[in-house]
Amino acid sequence: MKLDANVNFDQSAKANRTLQLKSTGTIVALLVAVYLGVPLVFGQDNYVMSMLVAALVIGGIALSWALLGNLGGMVSFGHAAFFGVGAYTSAIMSMKLGLPVLLAIPMGGVGAVLASLVMLPVLRLKGPYFALAILAYANIFRILATEWTSMTGGSGGLASIPRLPQMMGIDFSSKTGSYLIILTIVLIFAGFYYLIRRSHYGLALRAMHESEDATRVVGVNSTLLKGMMLLVSAFMCGVTGAFNAHYINFLEPDYAFSGLWVTIPIVAAIFGGYRTITGPIVGAVVVYLIDQLVFKAIIPSGHQLVLGVLLVGMIVFSPDGLLDLARKLIRRNHAAT
Amino acid sequence: MTELILQALYSGLLQGGSYALIALGLALVFGSMNVINLAHGELVLLSAYIAYTVESKLGWNPVFSIPVALVVVCLASVIVYSVVGRIKKNREINSLILTYGIGVILTNAILLIWKADVRSTGSSWLQEAFVVGPFYSMRSEVLFFAVSIVMIVGLWWWLSRSWYGRAVRAVSSNRDAAKLMGIDPRYTELVSFVVAGILATFAGVALFSYGVISPEVGNTLTVKAFIITVLAGIGSIPGVLIAAVLLGIAEALTVTLASSALQELSSMALFLLVLFIMPNGLFGAKGRRG
Repeated sequence: MKLDANVNFDQSAKANRTLQLKSTGTIVALLVAVYLGVPLVFGQDNYVMSMLVAALVIGGIALSWALLGNLGGMVSFGHAAFFGVGAYTSAIMSMKLGLPVLLAIPMGGVGAVLASLVMLPVLRLKGPYFALAILAYANIFRILATEWTSMTGGSGGLASIPRLPQMMGIDFSSKTGSYLIILTIVLIFAGFYYLIRRSHYGLALRAMHESEDATRVVGVNSTLLKGMMLLVSAFMCGVTGAFNAHYINFLEPDYAFSGLWVTIPIVAAIFGGYRTITGPIVGAVVVYLIDQLVFKAIIPSGHQLVLGVLLVGMIVFSPDGLLDLARKLIRRNHAAT
Repeated sequence: MTELILQALYSGLLQGGSYALIALGLALVFGSMNVINLAHGELVLLSAYIAYTVESKLGWNPVFSIPVALVVVCLASVIVYSVVGRIKKNREINSLILTYGIGVILTNAILLIWKADVRSTGSSWLQEAFVVGPFYSMRSEVLFFAVSIVMIVGLWWWLSRSWYGRAVRAVSSNRDAAKLMGIDPRYTELVSFVVAGILATFAGVALFSYGVISPEVGNTLTVKAFIITVLAGIGSIPGVLIAAVLLGIAEALTVTLASSALQELSSMALFLLVLFIMPNGLFGAKGRRG
């Protein structure tokens, strides 16, 4: 019996290793495809590239939203706050202080973190209270951006925000260059998310998901951990917003704090599966491209209606995402054969 | 100056009546099912747009749109209930995302049907000045303040005296015990959604009669209703009325004393202040009467 178990263990370990090798291979192949393949194939087509950049921006927000939802167990309707604050911080730092753009972008993340520090008291609240309190903050920041005219240019907005720089012979302000930057940002976030999830913080956070009270009893400071997740999520979203500001070179309060930065990422994250790391990113690319290429062509104004339908359908039929649904179907097929 | 402030207090009071009507629908569903219906503001807006259609197409006073609006909005509310009722796991988080999605659908449907233009009533009868002593307001504001008070008293009576109202309260305080007493919780939840739809209908017609509407205000209405619910604390109808008046007055004073741009800021600040200082709301602890 014992021997048997050992053999089994050995086999499964071997299977695991080959699986790991296989998945490393897939990851490398995927990286080559997205870093070299996509620019080589579509590089000349500015339209496609700009779509991809916009989709990855949504992916960055969706990932930060999903991190808070998955690890922190909090639904936020206020991520537009981090996006907008990050965008404004970075734009103002590069314009008024002359900070280089590549330094200003992380500072945008820091700005969003500072904004989230103001929100920390919200962590005492649960469920709908948290979700709507954070929405209240997003509105406050939007009003501040509109009223603080000397700093933000008011409702007229900020024009000619510095572009992404030219380096090592690559013009990063071009569509392809911008694509490479936002791709790198999103992949770094995904890697960081992976590391957090694998660390003991991740273990504690997952345990909190099962029962917060039980986790507190064994000595985990759950409020602190949730606070950290809020900060990390804010940073990611702020950096994404900062990148976007330098990419489009223009900001106004209604754009920077738009409800769109809440709706599409939530749809994307739910669609791809917000409990996974790749789900929100893949979901963002798929949902955004389908929305822009198909739905917008059919219904020019009000095409978000379809996104709403998608969201409702996902929550009712498969709240853990389409990938999960597919996995379930495959498993069922396997079981049948 | 005193005159201005008094006028602001009066306008805030009238505005508060309508706010209370919007908030009660949200609070009722929250109380009975522990679900925040993030599409509630859109239901109110739907009713307002039906009032607009009745006025602009038939030339009738918006008040006469109430029967049609009642049917449509209650139907929409029942649809929301039937979708929310299908959630099996993680109801708290999933119902939030779900009703948010329904809100997005309704906003865009309104945008598709009625376009993005800002609308307001053309009825001169409703817009005529109504003077009480030193105070000025539109006739519509006073009319719908009275309607709100009647509806609120009616709701209070329904919840505290009628069989269904008491069933709703029983389910909200202990679902299992209510089941044992022979109450079908799903049916009472459905009833509470229908009543929320009725409240939303009147609130919407009121909104169109005294104010301006555009497709994107639905979300703002939901947030305001939620703010009032939090201010009031769960389960207190007089509390909702007082909190709504408080919010109306705070907004009116901000507009009079500072600027109209800061109106929204004042309500948000009030909301956060109460959340942090008194998480149970102003009347949450003692006023649990329904």
